[in-house]
Amino acid sequence: MTSRIGPAGFAALVVAVAAAPLVSTHYRTYELGFVGIYLAALLGLNILTGLTGQISLGHGAFMGIGAYTTAILVVDHGWRALWTIPVAAVVTGLVGIGFGLAVTRFAGPYLALATFALPLTLTGIVKRFQGFTGGSLGKNLPLLHSQLGLRTNPSLWLYIVAWSLALLLFVLAWAVARGRLGRSFRAVHDSEIASTANGISARWVKTLAFGLSAFYCGAAGAVFAIGVAYVNPDTFPIDLSILLLTGVVIGGTGSLGGMVFGALFVEFIRTTWAPALVRAFTRVTTVHVNTHAAGSPQVIYGLVLLLVLFAAPAGAGGLARRLADLVPRLRRRAPSLSRPSGL
Amino acid sequence: MKRSALLVAAALLAAAAVVVSAGAAPSATPGVTARTILLEGTFPLSGPASGYAPIPAAMKAFFSYTNAQHGVNGRQIVFKYDDDQYNPPETVQLTHKYVEQDHAFALVGGLGTEPQQAVEAYLNQQKVPQLFVSTGATTFDHDFTANPWTIGWQPDYAAEGAIYGKYIAKNLPTAKIGVIYQNDDYGGNYLSGLKSGLGASHLGQIVSAQPFDVTSPSPLQQVAALAQSGADTFVIFLTPTATIQSYVIATKLGWKPAHVFVNSVSGTSTFLGLAAKSGSAITDGSFTVNYLLDPTNPQYNSAPGMVLYRKLMAKYDPSGNVNDQLNVYGMAKAWNVVQLLKGLGKNPTRAGLMQAARSMNFSGATANPFLLPGIVTRTQGRYQYPISQVNLVQFSGGVFKPVGGLVDGRVLPK
Amino acid sequence: MQQFAQQVVSGLAQGAIYGSLALALVLIYKATEVINFAQGEMAMFTTYICWSLITHHGLSYWPAFFLTLLIAFAGGVGIQRIVIRPLERASVLTVVMATIALLVVLNGLAAWLWSPQIQFFPSPFPNTTWVIGGVHVSQQDVDTFGVTLACVAVLWLFFRFTKLGLAMRAGALNPDAARLLGVRTSWLLALGWGFAAVLGAVSGMMVAPSAFLQPNMMQVILIYAFASAVLGGIESPVGAVVGGLAIGVTINLLATYVHFIGSSLQLPVALAVLLVVLIVRPAGLFGRVAVRRV
Repeated sequence: MTSRIGPAGFAALVVAVAAAPLVSTHYRTYELGFVGIYLAALLGLNILTGLTGQISLGHGAFMGIGAYTTAILVVDHGWRALWTIPVAAVVTGLVGIGFGLAVTRFAGPYLALATFALPLTLTGIVKRFQGFTGGSLGKNLPLLHSQLGLRTNPSLWLYIVAWSLALLLFVLAWAVARGRLGRSFRAVHDSEIASTANGISARWVKTLAFGLSAFYCGAAGAVFAIGVAYVNPDTFPIDLSILLLTGVVIGGTGSLGGMVFGALFVEFIRTTWAPALVRAFTRVTTVHVNTHAAGSPQVIYGLVLLLVLFAAPAGAGGLARRLADLVPRLRRRAPSLSRPSGL
Repeated sequence: MKRSALLVAAALLAAAAVVVSAGAAPSATPGVTARTILLEGTFPLSGPASGYAPIPAAMKAFFSYTNAQHGVNGRQIVFKYDDDQYNPPETVQLTHKYVEQDHAFALVGGLGTEPQQAVEAYLNQQKVPQLFVSTGATTFDHDFTANPWTIGWQPDYAAEGAIYGKYIAKNLPTAKIGVIYQNDDYGGNYLSGLKSGLGASHLGQIVSAQPFDVTSPSPLQQVAALAQSGADTFVIFLTPTATIQSYVIATKLGWKPAHVFVNSVSGTSTFLGLAAKSGSAITDGSFTVNYLLDPTNPQYNSAPGMVLYRKLMAKYDPSGNVNDQLNVYGMAKAWNVVQLLKGLGKNPTRAGLMQAARSMNFSGATANPFLLPGIVTRTQGRYQYPISQVNLVQFSGGVFKPVGGLVDGRVLPK
Repeated sequence: MQQFAQQVVSGLAQGAIYGSLALALVLIYKATEVINFAQGEMAMFTTYICWSLITHHGLSYWPAFFLTLLIAFAGGVGIQRIVIRPLERASVLTVVMATIALLVVLNGLAAWLWSPQIQFFPSPFPNTTWVIGGVHVSQQDVDTFGVTLACVAVLWLFFRFTKLGLAMRAGALNPDAARLLGVRTSWLLALGWGFAAVLGAVSGMMVAPSAFLQPNMMQVILIYAFASAVLGGIESPVGAVVGGLAIGVTINLLATYVHFIGSSLQLPVALAVLLVVLIVRPAGLFGRVAVRRV
């Protein structure tokens, strides 16, 4: 994962994040809060997939574990919501390590298969131990409410919590990528055999990558539970896991800044962008398409994904990089030694 | 440095594109303008529960008819609905949009126990009517003190289960019951109703209760277990696909229970016909309950409600399946909404709407034409089950024939 | 004892279904080294096409069946040429995501074109039930099982005894060497997808009478099919079917006799069993153990 996003870029992001609520309606702020949540999740998944090159189709389940941890602590044990976030992250991280230990012996597509089964497994376990989890009816958390003072509206509160977490995790991801751990991740990605020959235990590194990405998703899941104020087994279906991985690919595996775009994609594609595209298509071609037709947002989102895979496999991050290369630079710099991020 | 800044700029542009939005400014009464009333609802239009998708289309058809008849007190009803895929977080987001961005007057007909549970507290906090949720989960009718802005509509599941229990205890006191139920609140609700209907003295009639999880591809194992348990009365509390499968598998296993009870959601002539076509030999004689006019039963062809139903389907929803009783359900519900709105007069308010919903009495000449003759829609005081009467019916020769008269699932106040 | 036998028979019936879809998965993997996440949706989609031919275009069952197989073949080849081949040199992630994208598109498209309402799909086999020693065996289940076995046999014979089959195996195992030997690997990959699509269509059309036709028909079956394929050894057609049968029977017996599992843990338990087997024998029951040379 190249850490192209320097301090200036990060500062720009922080400014944008701070400014957005000032020009948004309450509802839009609520939606952007979820963008922050998804950003946290995607940053984690990116560590596993972008950096370490392991495919996971099940990270929605880790969000679910984090969400349930928060729900159980808040509803059954009276914890304050914010305090549950680090606990949820750690619990989920440990589960991720456990899961990693079990499945990292599998490679490539086999691993994807194993992770594919994870969300369904979680659903089954949640339903089976319903005394603990509330079963299919789930748990109602206290309604989202601001803890900043009576005037702050709940949507803004969610936004602040979500983006504080996301930005914190962003910095952490950047530090990981730059540091020794990041180099180990990248080494394993490039060649497990070579890295093993160099004394890096590929299995342990991959397991750690699972744990760390699960940690991120658990934190994201905790805030998700706070924002939605409800968890149940239907809340984290396989569709979510697929959507998360799609978000990473569309954002650009390995690109931290690209994950911002990926998070926007995850939040808006099915509810807003796809129906808008269908409506535009109807207007342009005068072919009448029922905007309520079941399945139409899905078809659009799948086609968009295919388009990205074909035309821009390095995702939004790669596109931005190519765009940047077209801009003549004021200062000439030596060619970067970092590797291209597209796998 | 420049590259990364550009990258972020691109992200910001994308964000800016979504940030600028046009939200309607709230008026005195949200959702009410000089000419329109805005009603919205979430429904599973895709995904596993999408079999219920005809409901909002039929509701819309009736609202269009109402609008063609000069609307409600000079206002046109604008009914918008979205797909929540039966996914509660989706429901939550859409509901926030309806309340905070669209400023809908009321949320109507929202479908699904869990999706509506997820938004119940929020809607009550925001004091937005959660009107006539499309689910029979008892809690929506029962817990009106805690949730004054929420009300159900259809006969609730526990009451339905109890009706079967009472019938069995009275007419089949020595029957051995084998129940298959969906392993969640939906199935659990029916089962607890069945047990309470049987009463403590007859509870032992249940010899086997098999839970079925929707993630299993087929109820093969459960039906086999029931067949082996010696049960002679098969009770099915599942969603339509699994119900049809249970019927077919029972015959494949050579099991011929003397009596079959199936819940009304899955007990339609369409689904039972499908089961029979696929080889089930036990569909005839199945008991279920019914409270809506049945488009597949010629007995109701001349009922005024049926005539209206067919006319409206042809005019406003021609691509809909006239034989699908879910369309009758949608129209019946929409009719109810329109009656309430008409009663609110020139200046409807949300509080007024809920008050009206909690003191309904549509009976006799004012009864809902889409319900079976004689069924009243009544709420008052501490009784908040809008529709609780049903007809026990038995499947025979492709139609459901009434068995006895109307049955009260709950004790109706006089 | 009778209950045990009945549950075993039921488990075999269910397992044959998993095995039939697993066959398609194995074929694609054997011929092209790709795990096709869209296999279930392709099977579902082609089954809808058959249904449409019967219901909207008035064809009778067998003509519709075989026409569907032709369409499935063309579709499989088309998908490989248009979607998979351009991504040949891309990363594993890209190829996996491409099949996922196909899954999403086909699922949405089926719902869009034919609505999510559940539909009846006819079975070509009679609906009789035989009683053998107190155990009920349905003819449809037996015939489905027979069809699956026939497919396995055809596939096995194909790979073992025909030049084309040998070429396909070579092309998947070592494309460069095969190419040097004059094998048109590119078209072989397309053929592999075509045949797999045909197998998937057969699987879908066998499943639809009892699972009832709807867009999500194959989703859960796909997971079990993957488990079957991996259990049996991802490159072994025989293994796929044996794996399916094993999983079908195991789940049924566990659910019946081990009450702790209940109905919600069936799938997790199946997957846990799978995991254990793979830890002990990574190549699956019938697979060859691959040795990695550094």
